[in-house]
Amino acid sequence: MTESPGTSASAVPAARVWWRRLAARLPTVAWLTAMWVVLWGDPSPGTVVAGAAVAALCYSAARLPHIPVRLGFRPLHALRLAARVAYDMLVSSLRVAFHGVWRPRRTNGAIVAVPMRTDSDFLLAILSALLSMVTGTLVIELNRNQRVVYVHGLPVNDAGAVRGLRAQVRRTEELLVRAFGTAEDLEIFERLAGLPEEAEAAAAAAAGRAAGEHTRREGE
Amino acid sequence: MTAADWITAVLLPTGALFALVGTVGLVRFPTLLGRMHAAAKPDTVGLFLLLAGAACQLPDLRSAAPLVLVALFQAATVAVLAQTLGRVAYSRGEIDERHLVADELADAVERARKDAD
Amino acid sequence: MTVLDYVYAATFTMLGVGVLFVLYRLVRGPSVLDRIVCLNTISVLVVSAIVVEAAVRGDTAYVGLMVTVALLGFVGTLTAARFAERRAHDRG
Repeated sequence: MTESPGTSASAVPAARVWWRRLAARLPTVAWLTAMWVVLWGDPSPGTVVAGAAVAALCYSAARLPHIPVRLGFRPLHALRLAARVAYDMLVSSLRVAFHGVWRPRRTNGAIVAVPMRTDSDFLLAILSALLSMVTGTLVIELNRNQRVVYVHGLPVNDAGAVRGLRAQVRRTEELLVRAFGTAEDLEIFERLAGLPEEAEAAAAAAAGRAAGEHTRREGE
Repeated sequence: MTAADWITAVLLPTGALFALVGTVGLVRFPTLLGRMHAAAKPDTVGLFLLLAGAACQLPDLRSAAPLVLVALFQAATVAVLAQTLGRVAYSRGEIDERHLVADELADAVERARKDAD
Repeated sequence: MTVLDYVYAATFTMLGVGVLFVLYRLVRGPSVLDRIVCLNTISVLVVSAIVVEAAVRGDTAYVGLMVTVALLGFVGTLTAARFAERRAHDRG
C-alpha cells in the first residue's frame, strides 16, 4: 500500500465534514459488525451493540486511510458478470485439471499483455482480483500508467490461445465496467473500445514513452 | 433421503473431487506457475461446492450464515495470494521459459530499457 | 449405513488423499514458493474437511475454528511470500 493520500478534511473546517467522514466510514463498521454477529451466531441486540462498539474502536484505533468509493451499480450486468466468472471458474478448473492429470509436460502457459479500457483504480483492482480467482488466469503485473495488465494464462499452447486469453480478459473487463463502472468510466470505456486494437496499444505505448515510464513494479 | 440429501450427496463428492484433482495437478505440473494454477483455485471451486453441499444439511438459515462468510474469505484470500505469489515467482525469475509460448512482460521490460538508453 | 454415510466417507477419503499429494510436493520442493503454495493448499483442505464435518454433525459450531484456520493460513502464506520476495531483492 502506498502512503495514505491524506483526507480532504485538512482543506475544509473539520466541523463541516465530520458527519461526512463518519458516513463514509460507516459501511466498514457495519460490515465488521455483521461479521461479528454472524460469528457469534446470535443476532440479539446486545451482540449487535457490542459488535458495533468493538468495530468502531478497532477501526478508529487502526487509523486506516479512507479511500472514497466511486462505483456505479447495474444489477443486470452484475448478474451477467457473476455468471460469467462462475462459468469461467468451473470450466477453466476442469481444463486445468484435465491438463494436470493427462498431459502436464506438454502444457504451456503464456504471459500476455492486455491493454485495458478503464482508468478507475477500483475497477482495475476488482478486475485483477476476479482474474486471479479464475483458475486459468493470474495477474502478474499491472502497469497503471499505460493501463496494461500482464496476465499469465494456462493452458496456452499457440497464438490462437493467446488471442483467446486476451479476448477472455477483455470480456470480463467489459462486463465489470458495465456492472460497476460510473457513467464516466463507461464513457471512457466506450471511447477506447471504439479504437481498433493496434491503434489503442500504440496510443498507450506512446503515452507511456512520453512519460518516460518504465514497466514499474507495482508496490503493494 | 430427502431432496436436500441428494443435493448434498452430489455436491460433496464433486467438491472433494475438484480439490483432489487440483492436488494431482500440484504434483504433476512441471512449472511453478502451473502448480500455482493447479493448487489454489480448483481447491477453491471445490470448497464452494462443499459449502453448498454442507449448507443443505443444516437445519436453518441462521446456522448456514457462517458458511457464506467462509466463502467470502476464501474468494478474497485466494485472489490476493495468487497475485502475490505470481508476482514473487516472476520477480525471483522462477519462470520456465520452455513452457511459455509468449512473455509479453519481458518484451515490455526490454522495450522500456531500450527506450531509456 | 445410509447413502449419506458413504458420501461422507468418500469425501473425507478424497480430501485425505489430496493432503497426501500435497505433502509429497511439500517434501519435494524444489522452490520455496512450492512449499508456500503447499502449506496454503493444506490449510484450504483442512477448512474443507471442517466444512464436511459441519455437514455430518448438522451444525456449524466449528465455524469459528474454520475462519481462524482460513485466516491464519492466509496471513502466514502472505508473510512467507513477501519474505521470499525480500530475500530475492537482497541477493540481487
